[in-house]
Amino acid sequence: MADSRPVPSVSVLRARYEQRVERLTTLRHVRSELVSLAGLIGRPVLNQAGQQIGHVADVVVRWDSNKAYPPVTGLIVRVGRRRAWLPVEAVEEFGRDRIGLRTARLDLRDVARRPGEVELSRDVIDHQLVDTDGARVIRASDLYLARVAGVVQLVGVDVGFNSLLRRLGPARFRSRPTPDKVIDWASITSFGSQRGPGGTLQAAERGLQRLRPGELADLLEDLGRTERQDLLSQLTPQQAADALEEMQDEELVRLLRESDTAGAAELLSRMEPDEAADGLRDLDPGEQQKLLAAMPAEAREAVATLLSYAERSAGGIMTTVLVTATPAETIMQVRDRLRANREHDEDLAGIIVLGDGGQLLDDVSMTELFLADLEATVDDLIGPPWPVTVTPDAGLDEVAERLVETRHSWVVVVDEQERPLGRILADDVLDTLVPDRPRFRFPRRLS
Amino acid sequence: MSVAREGTLPPPGEAAAGPRRRPGAARRPLRRRILMLLAFMGPGIIAANAGNDAGGIATYASAGAQFGYRTLFAMVLVTVALVVVQEMCARLGAYTGEGLGALIREQFSIRVTAFALLALIVANVGLVVSEFAGIAAAMELLHVSRYISIPVAALGIWALVVFGSYKYAERLFLVLSLVFFAYPVAAFLSRPDYAQAGAQLAWPHFLATKAFLLLVVALIGTTITPYMQFYVAAAVADRGIGPADYPGEKLDTIAGSIFCNVISIFIIVATAAAIHVRAPLESAKQAAQALAPVAGRFATQLFAVGLLGASALAAAVVPLSTAYAISEAAGAERSVSKSFRQAPLFLGLFTGQVFIGAAVALIPGNLIKLLVEAQVLNGLITPILLTYVLVLANRASILGDAANGRLFKIVATISVATVAVLSATVLGQTVLSGLGIA
Repeated sequence: MADSRPVPSVSVLRARYEQRVERLTTLRHVRSELVSLAGLIGRPVLNQAGQQIGHVADVVVRWDSNKAYPPVTGLIVRVGRRRAWLPVEAVEEFGRDRIGLRTARLDLRDVARRPGEVELSRDVIDHQLVDTDGARVIRASDLYLARVAGVVQLVGVDVGFNSLLRRLGPARFRSRPTPDKVIDWASITSFGSQRGPGGTLQAAERGLQRLRPGELADLLEDLGRTERQDLLSQLTPQQAADALEEMQDEELVRLLRESDTAGAAELLSRMEPDEAADGLRDLDPGEQQKLLAAMPAEAREAVATLLSYAERSAGGIMTTVLVTATPAETIMQVRDRLRANREHDEDLAGIIVLGDGGQLLDDVSMTELFLADLEATVDDLIGPPWPVTVTPDAGLDEVAERLVETRHSWVVVVDEQERPLGRILADDVLDTLVPDRPRFRFPRRLS
Repeated sequence: MSVAREGTLPPPGEAAAGPRRRPGAARRPLRRRILMLLAFMGPGIIAANAGNDAGGIATYASAGAQFGYRTLFAMVLVTVALVVVQEMCARLGAYTGEGLGALIREQFSIRVTAFALLALIVANVGLVVSEFAGIAAAMELLHVSRYISIPVAALGIWALVVFGSYKYAERLFLVLSLVFFAYPVAAFLSRPDYAQAGAQLAWPHFLATKAFLLLVVALIGTTITPYMQFYVAAAVADRGIGPADYPGEKLDTIAGSIFCNVISIFIIVATAAAIHVRAPLESAKQAAQALAPVAGRFATQLFAVGLLGASALAAAVVPLSTAYAISEAAGAERSVSKSFRQAPLFLGLFTGQVFIGAAVALIPGNLIKLLVEAQVLNGLITPILLTYVLVLANRASILGDAANGRLFKIVATISVATVAVLSATVLGQTVLSGLGIA
């Protein structure tokens, strides 16, 4: 969850994108070698003597996780009414508007799909893909193949509008590549496990791991259902849970609904309890109970407690992740405990010091802790400034008021026996004050 | 004592027993409860309700004024077709999790896709024209010239959407449009001829006149709008309704379609009972008389308010949804929060539709006639898009076992074919009369 890299601004991202686009197309010899998939479909397959045998129906590639670009393994050729398999070894000329065979004869074999192979025209072009470099969902308007080092490979995906127009036009223009917006295939994650064996190339998989949770959340929101589930399954469970925390509530609800109960429960239990509770709150009571029942006991209790508070109250927006200490412990011991909780560092503003009855004695800030002698005990640090506390049913305006009048950055939520329940950071309050970002989905306009 | 996740939190049982904690459900704010009610209503009923917009009101009122109860049987047939079509779209949304725009792009060749999207744009621009005509008609009832109201409305709606404060205006419009639920009450209070209405509803018949045929196509166009099909599929997918939840959603879609057509039938009955001269509607003022049993002498104002709300609501939603569907199919950025540079296609399409729609509505002429004509245009295009829906819902490669069964296929094909034949007849007649032959 912690990510120290600065988030690049829009203009930086744009510049990076333009640069990336050029990287491929400025290579003149690659450009002249590019074969447009859309232009190749329907073109004649000729034998050595120049006689036409059939038409190109589709191009098949194999996802090979060791290579940057998937190699073409063969073509599907329409001969009469039959679809026949043509291995790439039998192809002499891989042209823009024709396929020339090495031999005069072609023995027609039936198309048999092998694992890891994908038909480009049926499964990839016009479908959703993820560009991990630009962190966005795209729809391929064309795919480009090129012969690199003697092997025909899938090298790029075109997302430009010009390519769509070209495909609309007469066949004559269709095979002329218009690479105005081409993305290097090495940074593409594709889907297709439902429609056939799909996969991710190693380079793209690394790209996927590099994405920030917020970027992943945007991708998950933009994808269609099967693609979304596919992408989720390619992430590590923790990565997926972090991304879910960043999603808008209604998007999260949709994802929880469409996932199977076990998978959804697993993701929920890995999320921060307050974020998980926000997602569950919007589900029907029945769906809520089903998911809670499937969660491990510890996570379930944390989430269920949060759910019992109203959404717009101190209990509803607090985080329950607290690092606690007793007065007798040394600063060294506390530091070790903090280290073990690195993953929650955004939610930790201080150390809660507990008395014998579990009541709140003090909230020691990180600065106090940092400046303290390592051998000292927590007891030495107890003293003013005293923590600002609210009860879980306090309204948001009360929390905001307390923050303003004390100039504190957080408040501690305590129950009636002064036992700490959670913490509210100023930014949690800020989240509730700022309206949701307007993101148009037309079904929601009326509901 | 360690990390307090378990340590400081009382177990849930204890929490529930605590005096200061009440269960969350009892403390839900009103807003959430209303949202839950809306969620319960489901996409099917909301989609079908969207059919009762300005064009819908004008067309149903025209039907009542011009033919009395005689279009009621046609409405029964239209209801059957609507149920069949909406159910297919909801099923596509539930089983694929995708909108129709994306589905068409993935399943058909690029040219066939482009044709479908072009048809959608034409149909929806027609709708936008009718929404602005509705705004103008409503404002004329309140004595504001259309040459003032339309430009102001177009600029206002465009700015509200692009600069992102549309949400509040939208709620206002939605509340205003609820006025039309006064129609069933008006229909009962106006003491319609129940025997005749019942007979016309049950007795299969058609009038073989050109005007009648034209009106039936308008009824089809306003009830089975392409816009609604795109809406219901996207809404079902958007709510995460999957195959497991589909039986409930199916019920919602069917009930929603029937409910909304019952409202439409009440509009026809109320207008037929209020207006005794069987002639085409001349003005919105005339149509407003149908609400007189409810509102008395304020019928005109009540009608104007409802018409304004319904029209203004749709005048933003229809162009937005067109832009959404096209951008979805093209794979382009689609969000109102983006700038023109980031989402040129989406915002360009939205802007173009609003201003073209407003410009056409400004052309001098009879607004009610324009409203009905826009529905005829929709009726002509409906069968094209229905064909796509039918082909998609027939494909086992998309829906698996949920693809149309043999019986359903027959019923759906007959529905679509009937709509197509009616539309083709009207189109043929219009072309012939345009050439001065018939």
